[in-house]
Amino acid sequence: MNFALLFEQLLNGLQFGVTLFLMAAGLTLVFGIMNFINLAHGSLYMVGAYLTLAAAKWTGSYLAGVALGLAGTLVVGMIVEVVALRALYNRDHLDQVLTTFGLILFFNELVAILWGRAALFASVPPFLSGHIELFTGSTYPLYRAVIIAVGLLVAVLLWYVVTRTRLGMLIRAGATNRTMVAALGVNIRLLYTLVFGFGAALAGLAGLMAGPIYNVQPGMGELILIQVLVVIVIGGIGSIRGALVGALIVGLVDTLGRSYLRPLLGTMISPTAGDSAGPALASMLIFLLMAVVLALRPAGLFPPRG
Amino acid sequence: MLEVRGLTKSFGALRACDGIDFDVVEGETHAVIGPNGAGKTTFISQLAGDLRPDSGSVRLDGADITALPAPKRARLGLARSFQITSVFPDFTALHNVALAVQARSGRTGFWRPARSDPALIDPARQILKDVGLENRINILAANLAHGEHRQLEVAMALATEPRLLLLDEPMAGMGIEESQRMIELLSRLKQTKTIILVEHDMDAVFRLADRISVLVYGRVIATDSPERIKLNEEVRRAYLGEEV
Amino acid sequence: MFSGRALLWIVAVAVLIALPPAVVALGQPFYIDLVRRIMILAIAAASLNLILGYGGLVSFGHAAYLAVGAYAVGILGFYGFTSGWLHLAVAVAASALVALAIGAVSIRTSGIYFIMITLAFSQMLFYLGISIEEFGGDDGMRIKTPSRFPLVDLADPVVFYYVALVLMLLSVFLVFRIVNSRFGMALRAAKSNEARTRAIGFSPYPYRLAAFVIAGAMCGLAGMLYANHTRYITPDLASWQQSGDLMFMVILGGMASTAGPVLGTFALLLVEELLKGWTQHWQVILGPLLVLSVIFFRRGLAGIFYKPDA
Repeated sequence: MNFALLFEQLLNGLQFGVTLFLMAAGLTLVFGIMNFINLAHGSLYMVGAYLTLAAAKWTGSYLAGVALGLAGTLVVGMIVEVVALRALYNRDHLDQVLTTFGLILFFNELVAILWGRAALFASVPPFLSGHIELFTGSTYPLYRAVIIAVGLLVAVLLWYVVTRTRLGMLIRAGATNRTMVAALGVNIRLLYTLVFGFGAALAGLAGLMAGPIYNVQPGMGELILIQVLVVIVIGGIGSIRGALVGALIVGLVDTLGRSYLRPLLGTMISPTAGDSAGPALASMLIFLLMAVVLALRPAGLFPPRG
Repeated sequence: MLEVRGLTKSFGALRACDGIDFDVVEGETHAVIGPNGAGKTTFISQLAGDLRPDSGSVRLDGADITALPAPKRARLGLARSFQITSVFPDFTALHNVALAVQARSGRTGFWRPARSDPALIDPARQILKDVGLENRINILAANLAHGEHRQLEVAMALATEPRLLLLDEPMAGMGIEESQRMIELLSRLKQTKTIILVEHDMDAVFRLADRISVLVYGRVIATDSPERIKLNEEVRRAYLGEEV
Repeated sequence: MFSGRALLWIVAVAVLIALPPAVVALGQPFYIDLVRRIMILAIAAASLNLILGYGGLVSFGHAAYLAVGAYAVGILGFYGFTSGWLHLAVAVAASALVALAIGAVSIRTSGIYFIMITLAFSQMLFYLGISIEEFGGDDGMRIKTPSRFPLVDLADPVVFYYVALVLMLLSVFLVFRIVNSRFGMALRAAKSNEARTRAIGFSPYPYRLAAFVIAGAMCGLAGMLYANHTRYITPDLASWQQSGDLMFMVILGGMASTAGPVLGTFALLLVEELLKGWTQHWQVILGPLLVLSVIFFRRGLAGIFYKPDA
């Protein structure tokens, strides 16, 4: 087995996992604190990618684009929260699912109106293109390495905020007892809007970083959203630690599965089996993983309420 | 009939039930009393099958039912009423009880309408008459008064033809008249049923109970006849404080 | 003699029966196709109403069974089997089996987990459909010949219309009988108060699983009809968008009501047709409309006509 290739795929899996984590963290935070299932999270990912692309083109600078894109996504997130979602915090999950579904339709079409249905090309900025040397002797795209670094940095930051700051304490308290936190005089509405905005920003960050690698097109958010749902189901809904572990597992399993399942089946059974069953099985792999995890632990690996 | 040994249940650092030994003889009415927070509802939940004890055992007629889930215990003849009213709010009182009758019958069907099935409706009507709700059978359970809810709880427990009734504060929140009616109902029931009665209403407890167990901080501090419990030093201290 | 509700049904059915000759006379045969499509999807909505409206199971992956039923027709046709009875049997049996497999795992969870898991499983089927090249992958496959039944020619638009009408009425009636039977009562009790249901001696799991399988099978029937209607099927039939549409049909019509799924399907699809006529970007209008309907219009259309039954 080609070790250099394997290591490269491991890094790709890590990069994908980190992207999933950025999405999963926001989604699981919102669910844990506000008991709100937000399927429009994928739309925020898409908005981040589009706004950054548009802003970079308008200002001529990648970094300005990133800053404006992030800020823009944060604002869009907060507006959505205030306008559409506030009415639904006390409603049952069905109503929340249906509402956010309506929002998805709206955002996908809005983006198509503004920028068309065709996939847009987002290029890697010059100062991030190029390759780095790996200890295995081969090279790895700098941009992907930066994504991994940024993702891990956010994970550390998140850990710090949640475990060491007052805001984090409120978040953890809110996750276990909403009414108590409100009774303590904390401005719950403001907390919710901030948390939602923060989650939106994380999704936007994931989207803008993913732009150059995957396609920037209407509906891009929903493709990754399904995988994010698998991540938080495996990790335990409401747990950030679960989101990280789940994201890394799903990222690695999916990436390695897509690379190796086909040749593996090809050598173990037959080349035709590899060709026909390989891709099909690879695409189903993370769902089978989810089914197995659920069979053993119906509340995921790290359920926050124990 | 029912034998409980060493029942223990903790929630984190809180020991709700601490090695409880308890038994019920067939035909008796055994009351469980104790100050608030003593662990009474946790105890009942473990008997009913809604909570799994951390350790200890529950035996019904010698058979170990400790790990049996609630529906199976109900089918074995253990019926329960809830402290906080738990009925089917969008069904009428009649259909609430009819559902319990249906559960008892163990028979199902996919085609014939259940709401007009005399095998379900007639027994339900009778039971509702027995508990005194015959004028309210077609009212939606959500629209019943609080006292009527408590009567409905008892009716549903009866409809499953239980051998052992677990009544968790059947008189909670009732006024004087309603409580008297409930006490009369329970006096009639105790002649044919074995009852575990959790109650705060001491009038009811002393009139109905054959034996009383006192639960304090998760432990049974005394099990005795009502007269002797009244005179028990430890019990008076637990209820009235140190200066007795 | 007839209750108000029964009268409304009779009028509605009469209108539907009279529709084909009427629109042919008016020179607008397109409406036969439109209404037929609505009636086929109403069957799917009725099946979802059983588990969602009456059972309280928020299944966000119900479209999976639509796809299974449709692909049963497609795959059998691909290999040269055109017997309608075979298509029907395989569509229903395969959907039931898939529902059994998915339900067995999913129903052990509840709440938000259940929603996400059913969604994930239907997506899994979607990805499976995309990746199998022989049956068209994500381009889908054409149904060259419709299911062949003796006496009934599904290739005839009007005959097929009446077949769909009859099956829709039968499906609605079947769900009606089921939810009012002993089985249905226990299922509805579990939705109303699960702790109480267990306390009287019902275990909710078998009831929910059985309802899930029945709903899956009925939706598979709808899928089989849908394949014959569109004559071109794609894995999008299993997508979450399709599942979301089905849920809206149930909600808009009014959950836990007999007429709800039919009303909701007609409402949603007619509004869609209307909006499509105005602009190609109709979803930017439909999205907010759906949001508003959830926030303000909770009881659904059936709530206008009568109170929910106890």
